[in-house]
Amino acid sequence: MAREKVYLEEVFPSPFMQLWGIFRKTPVAMVGFCSFIFLILLSVFSPILAPYTPIDGNLDMILLPPAWHADGNVSYLLGTDELGRDMLSRLMYGTSLTFGLSFIVVIFSLVIGVVIGSLSALTRGIKSSFLNHFLDVVLSIPSLLLAIIIVAILGPGISNTVWAVAIVFIPQFIHITRYAVKEEFRKDYVLASRLDGANNFRILYYSVFPNIVERLMSQATLAQSAAILEIATLGFLGLGAQAPLPEWGAILANGLERFYIAPWTVYLPGLAILFAVVATNLVGEGIRHALKLRKEN
Amino acid sequence: MAVLPMKFKYLFLLKITLSTFLLSGCNESNKLSLSERSIIYCSEGSPETFNPQLSISSTATDASSKQIYNSLLVYEGKNNTLAPSLAKSFHVTRDGKKITFYLRQDVSFHQTSYFTPTRLFNADDVLFSFNRVLDNKHPFHQVSGGQYPFFDSVKFKDLVEKVEKINDFTVRFILKRNDSSFLANLATDYAIILSEEYGHKLNLKKAQHDIDILPIGTGPFKLKDYRVGSLIRFYRHDSYWQGKARIEQLVYDISTSKTSRLTKLLAKECDVSSYPIAHKKIAERTDLTLESITALNVAYLGFNTKKEPFNNKLVRQAIGFAINKKALIETVYEGQAAQARSILPESSWAYNSKTPQLDYNPSRAKSLLEAAGYSQGFTMDIWPMPIQKAYNPNALTMAKLIQADLDKIGIKVKIMSYAWDTFLRRLSLGEHQSFLFGWTAEHPDPDNFFTSMLSCSSREKGSNSTFWCHEEYELLLQKALETPNMSKRKNYYAQAMVIINEEIPLLPIAHSKRFQARGIDVEGDILENFGGINFYNVSKNVLTNTNILPQPKTLTKERN
Amino acid sequence: MLTFTLRRVSLFLFTMLVLTLLSFSLSFLFPGDTVINHSGHINATATDLIQLNKDYRMDENIFSQYTAYLTHILNGNLGQSMASQSSISSEIIKLLPATIELSLVALLIAMLVGIPLGFIAAIKHNKATDNAILSLAMLGYSIPVFWLGLLAILFFSIGLGWLPSAGQISPLFEIEHFTGIQFIDILLSKSPYKWQAFSDASAHIILPACVIALGPATIFIRLSRASMIDVLATSYIRAARAKGLSFIQIIFRHAIRNALINVIRHVGLQFANLVTLAMVTEVIFSWPGIGRWLIESIYQRDYTAIQSGLLVLSCFIFIIHILIDFIYAALNPLARGNNNGS
Repeated sequence: MAREKVYLEEVFPSPFMQLWGIFRKTPVAMVGFCSFIFLILLSVFSPILAPYTPIDGNLDMILLPPAWHADGNVSYLLGTDELGRDMLSRLMYGTSLTFGLSFIVVIFSLVIGVVIGSLSALTRGIKSSFLNHFLDVVLSIPSLLLAIIIVAILGPGISNTVWAVAIVFIPQFIHITRYAVKEEFRKDYVLASRLDGANNFRILYYSVFPNIVERLMSQATLAQSAAILEIATLGFLGLGAQAPLPEWGAILANGLERFYIAPWTVYLPGLAILFAVVATNLVGEGIRHALKLRKEN
Repeated sequence: MAVLPMKFKYLFLLKITLSTFLLSGCNESNKLSLSERSIIYCSEGSPETFNPQLSISSTATDASSKQIYNSLLVYEGKNNTLAPSLAKSFHVTRDGKKITFYLRQDVSFHQTSYFTPTRLFNADDVLFSFNRVLDNKHPFHQVSGGQYPFFDSVKFKDLVEKVEKINDFTVRFILKRNDSSFLANLATDYAIILSEEYGHKLNLKKAQHDIDILPIGTGPFKLKDYRVGSLIRFYRHDSYWQGKARIEQLVYDISTSKTSRLTKLLAKECDVSSYPIAHKKIAERTDLTLESITALNVAYLGFNTKKEPFNNKLVRQAIGFAINKKALIETVYEGQAAQARSILPESSWAYNSKTPQLDYNPSRAKSLLEAAGYSQGFTMDIWPMPIQKAYNPNALTMAKLIQADLDKIGIKVKIMSYAWDTFLRRLSLGEHQSFLFGWTAEHPDPDNFFTSMLSCSSREKGSNSTFWCHEEYELLLQKALETPNMSKRKNYYAQAMVIINEEIPLLPIAHSKRFQARGIDVEGDILENFGGINFYNVSKNVLTNTNILPQPKTLTKERN
Repeated sequence: MLTFTLRRVSLFLFTMLVLTLLSFSLSFLFPGDTVINHSGHINATATDLIQLNKDYRMDENIFSQYTAYLTHILNGNLGQSMASQSSISSEIIKLLPATIELSLVALLIAMLVGIPLGFIAAIKHNKATDNAILSLAMLGYSIPVFWLGLLAILFFSIGLGWLPSAGQISPLFEIEHFTGIQFIDILLSKSPYKWQAFSDASAHIILPACVIALGPATIFIRLSRASMIDVLATSYIRAARAKGLSFIQIIFRHAIRNALINVIRHVGLQFANLVTLAMVTEVIFSWPGIGRWLIESIYQRDYTAIQSGLLVLSCFIFIIHILIDFIYAALNPLARGNNNGS
């Protein structure tokens, strides 16, 4: 038999592959990850997958309970709301709003926050202290209050909600990035690069970023679960997605009037939000857990 | 090992005893009697005023008319006959133009923290109350705006020549012409009697505005506290002329959301709840009952006939044919309303089953639109009223359904939502194109529908926001008022309804029932025949008979 | 300690400056006329407008406009609510204590539940109890607070009938307003139903406070668990174990105090998050606090109220943050140090 590999080579997986390896072995994290991927697929492909449109209702099928009830109907698996709209389709379309938009918001705030944060980490002295205090002040304003203010300026509506939530999360990313970059800058390998003659940007790009990217990812999942809750809360309060958009928080608020007659219109969107947030948190926990284990190895 | 655990145990024990002491409360018996001597009513909104003369909104009259005030006459019985109240009898001359009222002599006004009466009710109070509305030079006429919507819409000033005091307990009204609806108007919830002595005192203090926000009346309850958006607290008027009420404290817990009223009812935080939803759920509970009354009301979609394109009759008719009223009733009223043929419900004696109505016919709607020159459709706005009333429990949902209906014939609808007082204000300024509103009658005379909703004079007074004014219609109404012959009046009103359904300044949608939910321990009738509420006869079922109060003379109100 | 206090006070002044600048600039950003947004007089007549323009120095440069605005605030004049036409400061004085009451009770519950659970999880590190507590914490952290509030009402108020679902106290009790904090007012009132009112108010506060407390409690679990794990790994604990102290003695005499210190410094940061949750919970439970008032104001586009509410609420949160910083510094001499920038 011909053997291709004569000498057994040792494989040194990159740090990221190490992380992925540990992550894969944690069953809970994988469940979270699969759910996360499922939600992403749903938010992209919901127009194709959903059985009905979320906006027009069938007025003959008002307030049907879910299919497992005695009065339910199998073609409306999760029941209908007071205008005859299918709950399952609305929830699926809502994934792209509540979940999908939160994803986009986090990526947007991440990029901007990291850029500003790393640039500001390079400053020192009064400017740095000033920025620190300013960030402290902004971080001490309740996020909902800040989002409300921005919505008050821009007016209600889902696009303005996205701006509002993005603006609220940028300071958090700036803060984290500053802290992380400053911490890395104290380490020896940065000193080594500097002695080699690298300028600040090179150090940032080649040395520091690869080391903080995982921390940023873990922070991003935290931010995303918070973003999902923010968007849903603003939708619930009527400041976010406006009728008839099927954002999960808005669906819940809509179902509130008929809570006692049709409780599924309130339970189901809440469960959807819970599912999405738990999935995101599981992924985040998995990353943090894997980071810790990788450090210990 | 000894010291530490002992300290913990001791502290723990102390905390437990302290908290049980606090939470159990010393006077358990006192608390029971406080809630059994009081009624909490979950109401749907904050009244803008405590004087029903100034407002037509049922939120204001529910909080004031039968609770704080009395009127000269009231309605009684299944046939709604006139009965004495503050006036113990009256006499009408043969030409119908002079009406004399003989007043009760044992009626006292409220005594509160802001006013103590020194005399009983007499003719001066009647003169004060009516002259405020009639006489432009009356010191209180301009107070709180000078608008008296009900009186203006029934053209009270044009009818009454003057009011005279014959002696301390006799008053005479001199009318300019014979009008069969005058006595009916005096028995409404709006013709209340204020205290002249209180008015005089406020005039001296230069605080005239207080007469409408810190009210004084003769009714079974007096105002103790009002917190806007939160609660109204009434105490019992102990020297009420009909005998004091059985409950000592009446609290209106203002909860604008239907779900929160239902929640409080189900959690026993309210004894009675207005405009309840989820009737099936309430029926399932053995400790709650649901009651209803067929009221004289109508919900409609009104058009601003001053604005394009609603000055065009064809456009209005087109929209009328395009709306599926049956679906609206199924969805918004959950089936518990009658589809409106015209503005009068079947329970009115002037109802005509042959009035031609606009059925659901979208293709006819489309051809009418084309005939009017709008084959491409257009954009319009609908202003649904933001609070719920008996005649329309959810104007917003109704607007959404109408939006879907009109979309099918090419009309795009924008739904505009405003807070209640903003809504009323802007409606009176005519800023709208169309609006969802309604009308609840104050007395059984059909004129109350026709004049208040669509007469030329009611345009300025706020009850006719279609700004429609039709000469032939006005004439018919006038003729109907001048004759006491019922069949002739019925004929005139039938012709008036034909005109309304032809011109469609508004599209009548439904007549509803007024519902109310209460705990089974609450006894006594609350709902009145014409949409108001009255807590005078209410009591709570006390399991142990501690106080036997003298039974007040209750007016029997039969329900249809 | 003196430098620490000075630093904190200067930080506080700086924060107030930034916050007032922020709320000042909002008048320009909100739709509508700037001076009307400052003052709230939407029905101002022409003469009123002239007076307002003079009061807020609208004709001068932006710096003196800002000083005029600041002077008004320092005099307690926060303008007038556009919706109710009454003075905002008088409304806030009535509403803020209710929110303070609710959020402090919630904070207390979160700490009393979260911190011990976190300690237990740390002690049973990597065993079944630890995992169970962590999973529950994660679930609690993920629930949307408005959904939780609705479910709590459905279960406890309507289903079991144990607790009321709305308001601060039953409307039957007439408690005069002294401080705005219901429990103090009850004790000070002359009503014959004092104890019933007290238990009624307690029953009313339990459900909303618990709903608010869930999220922060889970964060406290995580924080105190991490802190306790760190403490248990230190050398002085190992020394205590070597000395022969029993486990209980180690925990109660040494570990808890040291672990607690690390947790307390984060309490201040958590407070802003808690107030966010409190705002939504106030709407659901109809709690008469400033959060519900702010959300009502945005529905009614009452810009003056939103600005002033932002100012007062952020100020309040920051004051609590600084107070907790002081408590932490009092407990931990290391924190009074001078080499930390933030």
